[in-house]
Amino acid sequence: MARLSDGVTSPGPAGPGGVTPSGPAGTADLTLFALFVRLKGRLILGSLRGDTAKQIGFVFSVLAAVVCGAGGFLLFALLRMASPGTALDAGVVVFAVFTIGWALIPLVFFGLDETLDPSRLALFPLSTRQLAIGMTAASATGPWPLATLAILAGGIAGLSRGPGGVVIGLLAVALQFVLCLVVSRLITTALSGALRSRRGRDVLAVAAVFVVLAFQLPNLIVNRSNPGDVAGLFSAAADVLRWTPPGLAAHAIADGGIAGVADLAAVAVVVVVLAWAWIAALRRALVLPDASNQGGGSVRRSWIERFLPRGMLGAVVSKELKYARREPRGRIAWFSAIVVSGVIMFSIRGDAGPSGPGSVAGPACLAALMIGLQAGNVFGLDGRSFWMNAVAFPTEREMRTDLAGRHLGTAIIAVPLLAVVALVAGLLMGDASWALPAALTAWGVLGVTLGAGAVASVLLPYTVPERLNAFSGAAPGQGGLAFVSSLGMMLASAAVALPIFLPVAMGLTWVAPLAVPYGLLAAWGGRRLAASLGFGRMPEIFAAVSRGS
Amino acid sequence: MGLMGDAVRTQGLFKRFGQQVAVGGVDLIVPRGSFAGLVGPNGAGKTTTLGMVTGLLRPDGGRAEIEGHDVWTDPVGVKSNIGVLPEGLRLFERLSGRELLTYNGRIRGISPEETRRRADELIQVMDLVESQDKLVVDYSTGMRKKIALAAALLHNPRVLFLDEPFEGVDPVSANTLVDVLRRYTSSGSTVIFSSHVMDLVERLCDWVSVMNRGQIVAQGPLTEVRGERTLNEAFLQLVGARGNGEEGLSWLGSPTA
Repeated sequence: MARLSDGVTSPGPAGPGGVTPSGPAGTADLTLFALFVRLKGRLILGSLRGDTAKQIGFVFSVLAAVVCGAGGFLLFALLRMASPGTALDAGVVVFAVFTIGWALIPLVFFGLDETLDPSRLALFPLSTRQLAIGMTAASATGPWPLATLAILAGGIAGLSRGPGGVVIGLLAVALQFVLCLVVSRLITTALSGALRSRRGRDVLAVAAVFVVLAFQLPNLIVNRSNPGDVAGLFSAAADVLRWTPPGLAAHAIADGGIAGVADLAAVAVVVVVLAWAWIAALRRALVLPDASNQGGGSVRRSWIERFLPRGMLGAVVSKELKYARREPRGRIAWFSAIVVSGVIMFSIRGDAGPSGPGSVAGPACLAALMIGLQAGNVFGLDGRSFWMNAVAFPTEREMRTDLAGRHLGTAIIAVPLLAVVALVAGLLMGDASWALPAALTAWGVLGVTLGAGAVASVLLPYTVPERLNAFSGAAPGQGGLAFVSSLGMMLASAAVALPIFLPVAMGLTWVAPLAVPYGLLAAWGGRRLAASLGFGRMPEIFAAVSRGS
Repeated sequence: MGLMGDAVRTQGLFKRFGQQVAVGGVDLIVPRGSFAGLVGPNGAGKTTTLGMVTGLLRPDGGRAEIEGHDVWTDPVGVKSNIGVLPEGLRLFERLSGRELLTYNGRIRGISPEETRRRADELIQVMDLVESQDKLVVDYSTGMRKKIALAAALLHNPRVLFLDEPFEGVDPVSANTLVDVLRRYTSSGSTVIFSSHVMDLVERLCDWVSVMNRGQIVAQGPLTEVRGERTLNEAFLQLVGARGNGEEGLSWLGSPTA
């Protein structure tokens, strides 16, 4: 370990591929750079070998990167047509967004991209400096880093106003690109200990929802204000970001003179400081004990079970409630349901659209549909632990009870939540009395979607990947199945729910009390049908939900 | 049919995955009360066979009976009588060890009080008292096998199926597992476990079924199957292991670099 964390200059005897860095330091660095570029390339190719779904996915990813890179370059270059002030504002914002994106997105891929984790490379005889060079090289390799570089380069065309701007622009784009790489490396390295542990990944998975939300925020704000204000919004953001490193880099291109050089010098200092911090963090990460094997703490024994039914039903409900709390996928599902309901509520309010009980019942029922959708693949969430139920359920009755327990668990969280959604929607629409029929209808719709979800769960089960990834909710090759399952369930729920939703939406609020028994009936019918279809299919369900992901 | 003396009996059990025949007509017999080992090289079809016998994998042909109940037509008779510990082990990972046992007891219709009593004793015997309130996802391999065995035993099954129960388990945990299993079979219950550690099988089992390439190649009391040899020698001969690896690798360990 000592040799890994010591000298900045001592070149190691051999790199991972048996390449011996000899001769002048510059050539050695270049060799090392090339070596890591090849390593990253091999890792990408290796992960694709023998898996058609992944290969197709990769081809699409490369195409998307090419389109984004070329399109981004063109769009950025088109800023030339805008006034210099507007162009600069936009440039500052784009540079800043890329820096933030690079800081956050690699966190999601930690564990998937082996070159992100310094501990994987710790045993190779490389000095910290060599490791830093190598990891920078690995970060810069791949379709998306190159797309980033292409888009950033569009800034030269879009922002520069003369030959000085072009020269400074080339330097500024290079510095900005390195800034992106170094920021992303600093953050993954500093957090690598936490990211390797189960707890750290759990926290991160939920944090990812907030990141997605943060990216949606400007969207919502733009929707609220009138479209002409976008330029105003950009300039307000640019004012804030002007003196940040990406802001300085963008400004340098636009300025193209002495001030631009000064801007660049400042960015360069920041990059050097961040790189130094990164190397320090790397040195520390390499010799720190591995936190991934330290067991987590104990959980409190649950008191809630005292209030649940004694038999199997209570056991399933209590397991469901624990999973909603402890399993990141459960937490994410609930968070997203709440967030989506909130977004729907606020966007409906913005329109000068329909006002009446329907405008309150609408968002509440949509929220119910969102929550119910989670129940469209209940065995998929069990995944490879489904066998524990499969070997224990001797008759259809147990399967029905299992589904009922899951529905009850969902309802315990969803019923109060939907009541709050209905109340808030009522208050926003200016008539809280609409909240009651809206809540009743939403509860009914929830029952209908749970019933439809039970049937979808046995007819079209699919594997939910255990490692979260932002782009797919199903195991490779089952994406189409997952889509058909959710779509079918949505359509079926909507069709069955129409008789209770439509009258309320049209103002016949006296129908609303009927919605709850209707929903209960639909859920009960769904469970019966699902259990009678599903009991004989348990081996097939088990196979479908336990595919490797 | 004379099935009453056998805990497990299959006839022509058959399974193919795509082109490949994983299990090609297996007639597995395990007498009641025996401690039986299912041995074979990797890919011999042990896991597939156990999956079909326990009702987790649908066979393409043949039949399987446990304690005289057909696995695929009489699930009520079978499921209350068997305990399973599959390979690869996914449990309900976000429950604590104790919660996992409680859940298992209650979905099998055991009263909460009785479940708690049994769980307490199992946790004690398996030496999991200190980690009983930790989430299973944070357990080590040995702890996972122990809690999974506890869950498989909780409803007092008459036949226990264990797929590679000792793989990756430290000697201390392995010793605990062996003790519990010995006590369990001494009361007349049956254990069937798959393994490729011959010494272990030889030490524990009184009945052995040897599988190779989807077929049973030898089956019977341990003493009959191994004859005058060690089980390992008998096994290597049965599965037709080739060569003793003396050709090639002459450079390995030699002083010339």
